[in-house]
Amino acid sequence: MLEFQGGSTQAFEELFTRYRNPIFGFFRRRLNNAGRSEDLAQETFVIIIRGSERYEALAKFRTYIYSIALKQLWSERRQEIRAGRLAAEPVQTSHESDPSTAMWIRDALSQLDDDHREVLMLREYEELSYEEIADVLAVPINTVRSRLSRARGELRVLLESQSAKGVTR
Amino acid sequence: MSRQEHPTWEDELMPYLDGQLGAAEAARIAGHLETCDDCAGSIADSKRLSRQMSGWKVEGSSEKMKEGVLAELRSRSANTQPQTRWSWWTKRRVWAVGLSGAFAGVVIIVLASTREKTDLSLPVESALTISQPSVVPSAPMQQGREQEELFRLEKQSAVTVAEAQRPSPDLLPGPLIMRSARMNIIAKDFEGARSKLESIVLQSQGYLDQLTVKGEAGSGRVLSATLRLPSDRVDAGLSELRKLGKVREESQNSSDVTSQYVDLGARLTNARNTESRFQTILKERTGKLSDVVDVEREISRIREEIERMEAQQKEMKNQVQFASVQIEMTEEYHAQLLPSVPSSATSLWNASVDGYHTAEESLLGLALLILRFGPTLILWSALLLPTGLVLRRIQRAKTFRP
Repeated sequence: MLEFQGGSTQAFEELFTRYRNPIFGFFRRRLNNAGRSEDLAQETFVIIIRGSERYEALAKFRTYIYSIALKQLWSERRQEIRAGRLAAEPVQTSHESDPSTAMWIRDALSQLDDDHREVLMLREYEELSYEEIADVLAVPINTVRSRLSRARGELRVLLESQSAKGVTR
Repeated sequence: MSRQEHPTWEDELMPYLDGQLGAAEAARIAGHLETCDDCAGSIADSKRLSRQMSGWKVEGSSEKMKEGVLAELRSRSANTQPQTRWSWWTKRRVWAVGLSGAFAGVVIIVLASTREKTDLSLPVESALTISQPSVVPSAPMQQGREQEELFRLEKQSAVTVAEAQRPSPDLLPGPLIMRSARMNIIAKDFEGARSKLESIVLQSQGYLDQLTVKGEAGSGRVLSATLRLPSDRVDAGLSELRKLGKVREESQNSSDVTSQYVDLGARLTNARNTESRFQTILKERTGKLSDVVDVEREISRIREEIERMEAQQKEMKNQVQFASVQIEMTEEYHAQLLPSVPSSATSLWNASVDGYHTAEESLLGLALLILRFGPTLILWSALLLPTGLVLRRIQRAKTFRP
């Protein structure tokens, strides 16, 4: 990022290649709309380009980019809440995963508390360390641990109950 | 670690599962897991959960997104310079520059206060002789002492705001006095007095601001004028004006405007400095369009203020340099014997015409009166006359009854 700040476009292209799919995946797992997810992922990179003058290497770039993505996500959710379409859209399953598994996981995750779910997803899908999650969410690291622990426990229970229902049917 | 001393889930086992422990801690937990089925089971459950979660995969991003981002990147590269301009502006250097600025400010204040003490410690005359040569220019010498003093004042006020606002009258060349006079004169020779008045103005190197002459039959002419005479020659000018005729009324007025002038100069300097700073910001800093518009609006406002203050300063300077003298000169009136106008024959003819018109008007008036009230009179007569006749007959019948 510092090289890009110094004027190297090649440095940014490398960053983009490395993060384009993870950032798209970040939005895609959290939003129902694939097109909107792509727009927000693109906007995240545009924000990084435009804000490169003000960038300071105070933390890892990974923390920086996910912080921006998270703010974009919250902004999008606020807009969706205002528009009243947050829960109205049908759930779309991914093409690249087993539809039933994806749907189970998505359903179970959607029943978790917002804070718990975010910590768990940042850990499992974005593979951020505890420290990085704490930086991105601006919470103490012990809070990350406790939320993660609770989220895993709750998710396990939810998945087991869904599995039991599936067997019964 | 014995089998009974289980590691805590949140602080040890879960971080071990997520690879968040150091090598030594991880080895210790791994050793415990080999002997503890409960903890190994918890770890296995969590691993299973992670595997389940990883079953939710998403597709990759499209080329459209890539094109959008790279287009923005190209646009930025084309429109902006490399970041060398701002790259040096790191947090540490901000501090370094800030501290250097503060240090320089302290040094300037210390030096300024030392210099001020030195100046004030001198006698008044010495202070004046030191300060005057440094600020008195050679150009205004020919325009008299007042102009020199004004110019010096202007220069002094332009040095710094703080110096201009400093209450040290000793450093001023003298008070700035705005003078005005008013004179009411009765002149026997009006034309002669008028030409003499104009020559007084010329000799004094002043000018006529305004002049009006009015005259009506049966009374003398009146001249109203506003003269602007140089302040150092106003006394001589007034003496000459008194000779124009009999002075009926005279008044003089003066006001000290030194503090207003200095204050105005200081505010003007301040405004010019502010304008200069804004101009620098506009040239050197980039920002949002709304910020640029705000700065330009502010510059426009300050420029307007500067021009207004410059006009005030110019007007004040003019009023100090040139005293205002208002003159009202009345001609001493002599009545003159003139032939009667019009002639007697014309007067007789005019009288007969007037008589005819009067008779015509009276006849017309009578006709109008009859037309206006006649019908009413006829109506009432028609109503009252028979009644009166009947009453009269009754009265007669009573009188002649045997």
